[in-house]
Amino acid sequence: MKVQKIAEKIVTLKWVTMVIVIVLTLFLGNQLKYLSVNADILQSLPDDDVHAKLLKRIAENFGGNNMGVVILETDNVYQTKVLEQVRSITDSLVELEGIASVSSLTNIIQIKGDDYGIEVGTLVDEYELPEDTEDLEHLKKNVMSNEMYKGTIVSEDGTSTLIIFTLENDVDVALVAAKVIEVTKEIQTTEKLYYTGSPMLVSAISNLMRRDLTILLPIAFLLIAFVLYLSFRSVVGVVLPLITAAIAIVWSLGIMSLLGYKMSMISNNIPIILLAIGSSYAIHVINRINRQKLSGAKRDISVSLSLVLVPIVLAAITTGVGFISFIFGAYLEMIVEFGILGTGIACFLSIFFVPAIIEIFGSGKNNKKLRERKKSLILDTFLGQVTTLLFKYPGKIVITWVIVLCLSLLGIFSIERKVDIQEYFKKDNPTRRAEGIMVDKFGGTKPVFVLFKGNVKSPEFLQKMIQTAEYMEKSPDIYTSMSVAKLVTEINLAISGKREIPNEIEKIEQLWFLIDGNETLERLVNEDLTEGIIISKFKSPDNNSKKRFASYMNTFIKANSTATCEIEITGMPFVDITMDRSLIRSQIGSIVIALIFMVLIVGVFLRSWWQGVLASVPIIASIIILFGIMGLTGISLNIATVLVASVALGIGIDYSIHIISQFKQDMQTTGELKWAIENAINISGKAIIINVISVTIGFLVLLFSEMVPLQYFGLLIGISMLSSGLGALTLLPAIIIVLNKRKIN
Amino acid sequence: MMNFIKYGVLLLLLFSGIQSLKGQNADELLQTMDALIAAPKDKEASVKMIMTNKSGKQKIREAKMLQKGMYKRLYRYTKPEDKIGMATLSLPDGKMWLYMPSYEKPIKITLFSKSQAFTGTDFSHEDMSGIPYNERYTPTLVTSDIENTFLLELSPKIKRVKYSKILVYIDKANKYPIKMKYYNKSNKFEKVATYIFGQKNNYWYAQEVFMTNIKSEHSTRIILTDVKFDQDLNDDEFTVEKLME
Repeated sequence: MKVQKIAEKIVTLKWVTMVIVIVLTLFLGNQLKYLSVNADILQSLPDDDVHAKLLKRIAENFGGNNMGVVILETDNVYQTKVLEQVRSITDSLVELEGIASVSSLTNIIQIKGDDYGIEVGTLVDEYELPEDTEDLEHLKKNVMSNEMYKGTIVSEDGTSTLIIFTLENDVDVALVAAKVIEVTKEIQTTEKLYYTGSPMLVSAISNLMRRDLTILLPIAFLLIAFVLYLSFRSVVGVVLPLITAAIAIVWSLGIMSLLGYKMSMISNNIPIILLAIGSSYAIHVINRINRQKLSGAKRDISVSLSLVLVPIVLAAITTGVGFISFIFGAYLEMIVEFGILGTGIACFLSIFFVPAIIEIFGSGKNNKKLRERKKSLILDTFLGQVTTLLFKYPGKIVITWVIVLCLSLLGIFSIERKVDIQEYFKKDNPTRRAEGIMVDKFGGTKPVFVLFKGNVKSPEFLQKMIQTAEYMEKSPDIYTSMSVAKLVTEINLAISGKREIPNEIEKIEQLWFLIDGNETLERLVNEDLTEGIIISKFKSPDNNSKKRFASYMNTFIKANSTATCEIEITGMPFVDITMDRSLIRSQIGSIVIALIFMVLIVGVFLRSWWQGVLASVPIIASIIILFGIMGLTGISLNIATVLVASVALGIGIDYSIHIISQFKQDMQTTGELKWAIENAINISGKAIIINVISVTIGFLVLLFSEMVPLQYFGLLIGISMLSSGLGALTLLPAIIIVLNKRKIN
Repeated sequence: MMNFIKYGVLLLLLFSGIQSLKGQNADELLQTMDALIAAPKDKEASVKMIMTNKSGKQKIREAKMLQKGMYKRLYRYTKPEDKIGMATLSLPDGKMWLYMPSYEKPIKITLFSKSQAFTGTDFSHEDMSGIPYNERYTPTLVTSDIENTFLLELSPKIKRVKYSKILVYIDKANKYPIKMKYYNKSNKFEKVATYIFGQKNNYWYAQEVFMTNIKSEHSTRIILTDVKFDQDLNDDEFTVEKLME
């Protein structure tokens, strides 16, 4: 009876609860305005990943290697009007706050030697752009003959040119990205402009996500409200689950803002996940209170609450476990922290706030009306039929499930994993087109950095850099590379006619006079001249190519890294490999660990290990179906879809918990197995169906998202909800019936 | 009515007179400043360049400088160690020779773009060119916000200049510049230079120039010591052969 007392205490605290909820909502809601979006992908990478850590360090030490690109696409770059537009864009970007350097066809440095000495200047005369055909042809010839320009600044076919810019450290990436678009649009170019590179890409993603969240989330709320109205036929039944979810979202994001966290590409999913979880707990409480009212009991709210208290707390703990298991996926830390926090908040609100509101304002229906309507409800009829079928064909139902699961198992083996950012955009999206141009004409966008530690000015150091670059460029996915060693080679060629690193350190030190203070140098060596990097781009989005390249480079580095010249490699392909590995580890690890924990927790709470195992059966089934569908339909596992299993696991197990705890209560009071099963399906089944339908319909709205992963996210959550709900209502009771056939008969 | 016209014409004449006087004053002022800078026949000095970056880290270079007229200038580096023996020779028409002892030959550097920085400093080749301002810019006299100074607003006369505007604060008493503010092609404030002028042998010269880049927060301080004027430097001092010695 302890639970009953706790429930009574909770109900008596209704006004305290109301005040706390209102005050906290106002306070945390006010914090939302300080919540900023951190679109910088580098910042969201975990520090315990060596490649991510090195990537961050390179970005800090080498003058903003966070690189953005404006692509100008035309029929022929070598025209005065095109060059004028490139110059205008370059000049505008140079002046933007937060931009460290800009490099384009109209300002790129040129050092060339002739019989009389060397010429230092820009490739194009900034004051007098080439106008006649001869000058333009000469420019084309210059570009095509130098690998520092060909395929780097201008595409080989002469149809695209790049304006490359780097960001300063510690700038608001999203703000700079927005300014870049604004100033380049103001120029009103006649040619097509595309934007890419990490700052532009991530900013495009967060814009699309923001758009989706602001347009689609309200529509999802409305649809869920409609389903809830059909189910509960009361304002409270509609408003309370939604308001619980909304408050849980506001509190979680408010706390996030208060603690100085920023919304990242990954944590953008938190509101959607909380909408599913937050509404689900409230639905169970309201459903229980309505049921209790139907029976005409007094003190109905505290009694109802006492009956759902344990299952809800249990459901919240298991959902939390579903999130904790993501600890294996270091990339999803934020989801873990705020998923658990949000679940806790939703649980608290369902237990304290929902009963408080109903106690204060009433449930909006009188008992008489409810009783009258009871018989006519479609849901009850449906549940009645389900129960009949369950008792008639329990074996066939289990066999049907086994067949579906076997088919799904086939699909699991063909699941694809994709961590490529390009996959975020629909095929006709300009950002995806930009990525396409970069891959086809400029050797890709994924940066690769090789870090060398030693004396930058020593011939051995620079020669090692050249050797590494030559080796690296033999890979089919590396088009070209840039390093201080190449720059020194080019100047040495201009002076001595030999394209090589001089053997004497004095020569290198004196050559340095010509490049000292040059902006390009800041991106290639550190201030103390103890570190230098090779910058390159990786072409293929394919995971196996990335792994092949990593192993190809690691072999070389192992053989060539010495105490005087240490070599390390990093870059997005390497981060992608870790991310990919992390996806797999987080999926397998999370599911196994979560299931073990759930069996243990449910077992302890219900004081029966067997019931713990039983509760996990529908969820195992629904996860097999989820992955089966992903494999069979070609929906890839990525940083968005990887969360679906966690949500499915967290919410799906709740359905089983509700059925099992109701079944257990009835068994304890009556000892009649058949009646206990029927009653569990009738009472908890309704809440489960309402929850499944409302959440599924709400999430299917995401099919209209601009972001491919969100589309899949919506679809997969819908599938998971349906399968885990169906599992709890059919597979779980069918197994109980099959195992207890003798008792029932 | 007649009186009104008479006074009107008089006022108009006076006004236009003031305007032309103002224009003339501005031109004269700039010419005076240019002449003051170019006054010595030749100059010999020890030059120290201190480059400081955003985080306060410094690089120091030292050189012996010889200059004849405005267009012939030779720097022979004495510090840091790795630059000892290196020398640059600037000749009229933007010609520049660089001597690197390890290559044992002088290299002619053709500077296509004078807007580029002078090796590692915040001065562009244009800033260091020594070409009188009045040949490149048209001045206008505006109200100065610094006491005891004239303020000239310079706008480009020719196409090939780096700045869209330079504000020059000129000391009222001695007509040397004390501060210059440089605005880039989009009319944004890009750099500021402050000058400390001293006098020796009746010549005013910049003992110290401090240039700061507003955006990068990088600065360069150039300090002149052991300055000697009118040493009758021979043209032979400014030859490629001499550079290699």
